[in-house]
Amino acid sequence: MNSATAIAFMRRLRAGLDSGLELPDAISRGATALPRDARETLNRIVDRMEGDYTEDEWGFDEEFTELVEPFFAFLYETWWRVKVEGAERVPAHGRALLTANHAGILPWDATMISLALLREHPLPRNPRFLVLNWAFDLPWVSSGMRKVGGVVASPFNAMRLLEQDHLVAVFPEGVKGTGKPYSERYRLQRFGRGGFVEIALRTGAPIVPVAVVGSEEIYPKLADLPWVARLIGAPYFPVTPTFPLLGPLGVIPLPSKWRIEFLDPIETASYGPEAAEDRTLVLELSERVRDQIQQALYANLVKRGPAFI
Amino acid sequence: MAGRRVLITGVGSHVGSLLAQRLERDPDVEHVAGLDTRGPKVDLDRTEYIRADIRDPEIGRLIPATEVDTIVHEQIVRQPGPRMSPPAMHDVNVIGTLQLLAACERVPTLRTIVVRGSAGIYGAEPHAPQFFREEMAQLFPQRTRFQRDVAEIENYFETYARRHPGVSCTMLRYQPAIGPGLRTQITRYLSQPVCPTYMGFDPRIQLVDIEDALEALVAAVRNPVRGAVNVAGPGTIGLGRMIRLAGRRALPIASPLFGAVTSAGQQLGLDSQSEDFQRLLRYGRGVDTRRLTDEVGYTPRHSTAQAVETWAHQARAAA
Repeated sequence: MNSATAIAFMRRLRAGLDSGLELPDAISRGATALPRDARETLNRIVDRMEGDYTEDEWGFDEEFTELVEPFFAFLYETWWRVKVEGAERVPAHGRALLTANHAGILPWDATMISLALLREHPLPRNPRFLVLNWAFDLPWVSSGMRKVGGVVASPFNAMRLLEQDHLVAVFPEGVKGTGKPYSERYRLQRFGRGGFVEIALRTGAPIVPVAVVGSEEIYPKLADLPWVARLIGAPYFPVTPTFPLLGPLGVIPLPSKWRIEFLDPIETASYGPEAAEDRTLVLELSERVRDQIQQALYANLVKRGPAFI
Repeated sequence: MAGRRVLITGVGSHVGSLLAQRLERDPDVEHVAGLDTRGPKVDLDRTEYIRADIRDPEIGRLIPATEVDTIVHEQIVRQPGPRMSPPAMHDVNVIGTLQLLAACERVPTLRTIVVRGSAGIYGAEPHAPQFFREEMAQLFPQRTRFQRDVAEIENYFETYARRHPGVSCTMLRYQPAIGPGLRTQITRYLSQPVCPTYMGFDPRIQLVDIEDALEALVAAVRNPVRGAVNVAGPGTIGLGRMIRLAGRRALPIASPLFGAVTSAGQQLGLDSQSEDFQRLLRYGRGVDTRRLTDEVGYTPRHSTAQAVETWAHQARAAA
């Protein structure tokens, strides 16, 4: 947008406000001075100001997701240079449970998995992901998260989403995964008690193991200050090369190189929903998924080479 | 089904009056009685109005005389009005329920009790599942006075139901209702010039349209189900979007200052919010309504967004 159009826009906006129009109407009037694509974006923002947009019952807001896409696209293409393998293995329709390794306090890996599917899958779909609970205590993070498809990590949420035939991403490592020190990176933690397998069995959803390489270098955790964590109510308080040294800037993730590999789905429907009670089977399947992700992590680490260049 | 005799407690409330009117038109309902200290808000043709205070042991004599087979308990106060203290609200809710149940013991014809309870029992929690199911009432600690009231009421009804297997008790857990003419916390909140919100929080709110609220009560009277049933419109709506649909503006306030700013606003004549409502504004709440659809057999017709739009449209027309 050159400065002449910007000035024309501001003039009309001011004229509109002076003549007693409400802000949204005044912006629409100002927008007539703009080129077509800028006008369309602006009109969408105006519609949002009047509540004219949709959210589904989970609070997922597809239009908001599209509006913030350029930011994540920058991270995807330029910052982390994400390479994707096997996106076509994710079922194109119906329910499925994506199961990935997890690192870092903010769920960047979840957003990159979403973007990988939107870009590389022949029939793109927005996955929903289960986010560590305490993100929902935080201002802005909580509302941003739900708008792009995050939900509280509760088995009830996962079940309901799968029953509605959504694609759901879970990180069974949970807090143990996000809190591991840099020296332990890419070594998978215990997969809880296999709750994700129970959910898959109950709903008959196939499990798609996902290996994410790169996410475990973005916040290299060198030490932990448990007493600070207790003070602010976080599960842990990481010390990284930039945090808390640089203050809020320390939240900027390091530009590591990423690879995301989707593995072959593990079918669960044939076991039947009652199999969810079978502890042996649940733990066995959980271990199988964990093992596959671990192998894929090692393979992709070799393929990627050095972490940052 | 035919020849039902129904008593409504709290018939002087908006929903109570409309319910009486709705049941009067129902050919299967032979007799409607309404109990309250205030008269009904609409003109009723054949409702027998009983002026009595539900806290008064006198109702132990008045209710059996009506020989009803169904009682709809509607007298649960959700927020104390201007002339009601919080302890008085607790009295109406808890002591009122106790007196009512004591009176029920003396009604041999009684077969059905339907309670218009509240989904407030679940609270509003950041870590809650997005949709509470009926069995999740105990998932989180009870934090507010109203929540404890509702839990106590439910407890009394459960005990009563256990001891009287012949009477089916339906506990309807309502999300906040909205609709033309209805004055509740939510409509008062949306009628303010600006709506205070927690900065950085945009919780999911779920409401029920007044029409659906009534029809769900009628459906529960016709087809009583034992235990708790959630009542809400399909879908949820972000608080920010709800305020915009109502044609209002949000006033974001940093969380630590919210209480101070809203109580200052109260001095200036703005509306005050109960503790429950404040938590709702911060964390929101959704409930699962499958039991209402599958077992009671009623599917709410108005989504939360539609209910807000209908209300806002009517409020604008009235202004």
